[in-house]
Amino acid sequence: MPTCKECKRFFPLEEDPGKGDCVQRVIDPRQAYYQAKPVSADKDAVKCPSFEKK
Amino acid sequence: MAVRAETLKELEEKQEWWWAAEKKRSSRLDYLRKAMWKKGAIGGLYPAGLYIDLERPVLQTEKARELEFSPDPYVIKFAKILAHVLDNKTIFITDHSQLVGYLGSQPHTITWDPTLAALLNHEVVNDPTSIPEPMDESLKTITDVANYWAGKSDLDKILPHMDLDDAMKVLSGAIGWGVPLSRGGYSGKDYEYIMSGVRAFEDVIAELDRKIEEADAKAHEPGASKEISDLYDKMNMWEAMKITLEAGIRHGKRYARLARIIAENFETDPDRKEELLQISEVCERIPAKPPRTLQESLQYDLFIQLFSRNEAIEGAWPSRPDYYHGPYYEKDVTIDKALTEEEALDLVGEFLIRAAEVSQYKVRWAREGLQGIEGTWVWTLGGVKKDGSDACNAMTIALLKAARLVRVANPTFAFRWHPKVSDEVMRECFECIRQGLGYPSMRNDPILIANAMNWHGHPIEEARTWVHQACMSPSPCTKHGFQPMRMANATANCAKIMEYVFTRGYDNVVNMQIGAETPPAETLTTYEQVFDAWVTQMKTIFSILVRPVNRARILAPKMTPRPYLSAVSERSVDSGLDVCDPSISRGNAWITAFTWVENADSLAAIKKLVFDEKKYTMAQLKEALANNWEGREEMRLDFVKNAPKWGNDDDYIDSIMLDCLREAAKFSRELKCPSGNNWPILPENVSGNIHYANIVGALPNGRRLGDALYDGGISPGPGLDKKGPTAVLKSCSKIDHISDGRAFLLNTRLSPTQLAGEKGYQLWKTYMKTWADLGIDHVQFNCVSDETLRSAQRDPEKYQEVIVRVAGYSAHFVDISRKTQDNIIQRTVQGLG
Ligand code: SF4
Repeated sequence: MPTCKECKRFFPLEEDPGKGDCVQRVIDPRQAYYQAKPVSADKDAVKCPSFEKK
Repeated sequence: MAVRAETLKELEEKQEWWWAAEKKRSSRLDYLRKAMWKKGAIGGLYPAGLYIDLERPVLQTEKARELEFSPDPYVIKFAKILAHVLDNKTIFITDHSQLVGYLGSQPHTITWDPTLAALLNHEVVNDPTSIPEPMDESLKTITDVANYWAGKSDLDKILPHMDLDDAMKVLSGAIGWGVPLSRGGYSGKDYEYIMSGVRAFEDVIAELDRKIEEADAKAHEPGASKEISDLYDKMNMWEAMKITLEAGIRHGKRYARLARIIAENFETDPDRKEELLQISEVCERIPAKPPRTLQESLQYDLFIQLFSRNEAIEGAWPSRPDYYHGPYYEKDVTIDKALTEEEALDLVGEFLIRAAEVSQYKVRWAREGLQGIEGTWVWTLGGVKKDGSDACNAMTIALLKAARLVRVANPTFAFRWHPKVSDEVMRECFECIRQGLGYPSMRNDPILIANAMNWHGHPIEEARTWVHQACMSPSPCTKHGFQPMRMANATANCAKIMEYVFTRGYDNVVNMQIGAETPPAETLTTYEQVFDAWVTQMKTIFSILVRPVNRARILAPKMTPRPYLSAVSERSVDSGLDVCDPSISRGNAWITAFTWVENADSLAAIKKLVFDEKKYTMAQLKEALANNWEGREEMRLDFVKNAPKWGNDDDYIDSIMLDCLREAAKFSRELKCPSGNNWPILPENVSGNIHYANIVGALPNGRRLGDALYDGGISPGPGLDKKGPTAVLKSCSKIDHISDGRAFLLNTRLSPTQLAGEKGYQLWKTYMKTWADLGIDHVQFNCVSDETLRSAQRDPEKYQEVIVRVAGYSAHFVDISRKTQDNIIQRTVQGLG
């Protein structure tokens, strides 16, 4: 079962690699940006449409 | 929108300023301006493409559930919920940006705070337009959140402790506006403490640690007293304050990390990489340590504001950006030459954009009253320093220039004029007005400083630090002088005073006895008796509005505390008391007087046509008003056309206006806030004149139920000022702007053709000199032609960027209702010279 830590978009915290940020590029009708959302390294990634293996 | 083919010069000659700005600004500012999602509601509904952000309510609710059975005192639980949001919300960095931070998880979201009021949550549940897809899932989440906070939200907790009779009258929406909450209204800030450059969050945390340590030691010495008992509450408050500041620092570092991740893993452009690393460095430091550069200073300010809006719904943005950021601008641009003027303008312009996009979900009546904008972000520029010397600096000019480049409708500026302001700065103000921004509004600094001393007893050095707490009202930003929360419900729909004279206080629109049971109108046999009834109704309405605010201020420290706002306020850091605690505030309350001038025009009409000329009886007038003038058109027109109207330098009516104001002023000194200070009135309107159109019944000035009310403050009724601009100023100058009230809004329309070129500037300057000499405290200008406004009504797509001054704020013309648009067009265009 894939987890976030195996994903290209997961960036672990140095002080606590069990946690990290899911960083994604988003383009909406007006602007483009990068977003970061805290996730845990072991989060189940099965249903994540953005999962991409490292 | 395609870039226009004409040259910049051609566009400027045609006064198509919104297109000219597009050509003038840098490519970065152009991108960021067009990237901005406008958040202001149109016709009470949020524009297409915007969605309610469900992330924060979910985070708040999950943390609240987790803490439900923890032994923490409420204030610490509340601080932990705030920290949980700052630690876990989605953050983002927009391409080309140099400043970061937004309330929501995505740029097109409107944040919703479910902890405030069940009535707000019900509106979210029933919102027809802004619930995000997938709808079923969102509705499930919204319902779960709303159900959790039912009975636990601030208003639900506070209401049972109020006088329910007063509360129901306020909530009827007939006479007032807003709710008495310390976390919903207009928060002042102690900028002298937190923005002076000598301390930042780490310094405050160190101070809080000292306070906690000292108190803890004292609490455990042998002995017992009330003072020792109080220390436990104070230690909890200090602890809560610390939790919020530490969360703020961590939040800054989250941006530092994201900027670094983008620079190191995604960005390929070396220049942008450099900028991202710069953002990272800034946010590694800010808000923990004091700023060193303009970018750090602006970022610091932005974080302070955003954290406060994570704690409360703030409908205003009191601020003095030139005063507090000016030293950093001077250092970076003038002294160190680390930034060119253009680079600095990019930062300043982006700062305006970052503020413009801030959004918090509000109840429908608030959206209707603030058409086209998110709140009244009126930033204060100019003025004097504490020693009385001119406070204008290079940042004042940069802000005025940046405003013309980005042309956002919110924030707007209000400029504190005083006799030492340089011609260079006045020209910059004029350029903004001439280019149709509707701002800065001009404020008379010497008058308003004297006014602050007169009404609230602020010492002169503190009075000189004043900023606009909302659209109009000055508040110092000092330890004891700043008002932590202006609770918006002390906003009187004053036309009801007149209406209730004829209905004995019964409100026929909401079917409720609200006013006083004054004698039946038909039994009033002299003008003096009518005026006495008016005074009784005025006192009754003002009291109903003020009492809940006073009560809420007393309840706030325990029931709805503000640990973050307290943490950035010296009074609370020193005392360990919540920032809203009346014992540590000097008091700076005011009653906003919407729909005020209708009273003077109505009383003058009664005096002249009923008592002087005896053309009608009070019974006939009462009957005509009860029937909304139906079948009495001739009589109605008599009251419109043949009665004196305010704004024409006519002593007959101007003296009535003074009588009304002076009775209100006398009563304002009897009404006391919990700090023991006065409640002066402040006539202004936002777009309440439209919101109340269907709430205020027919009036003796000839207005029918449903007609727009006047545009507010002491502005004459639209089209009723027939004697030119000097006559308007003369009428207004009969008011004592120091002692008759806290401030008085005056709308003026000028012709863009007349203001063209150097001649236009000189005409305006002469007008401003008359205004200043007459001691009037405020004036603001609309400078867009009827032709442009009518074209914009016909073809809104082409005129998306036309801005107008509505009342105490500006808005894009296409974002306001047709009724408000018409009301602005009806205002008299004053010819100068
Ligand atoms: S994209 Fe999906 S799988 Fe990858 S880190 Fe983000 S949440 Fe986890």
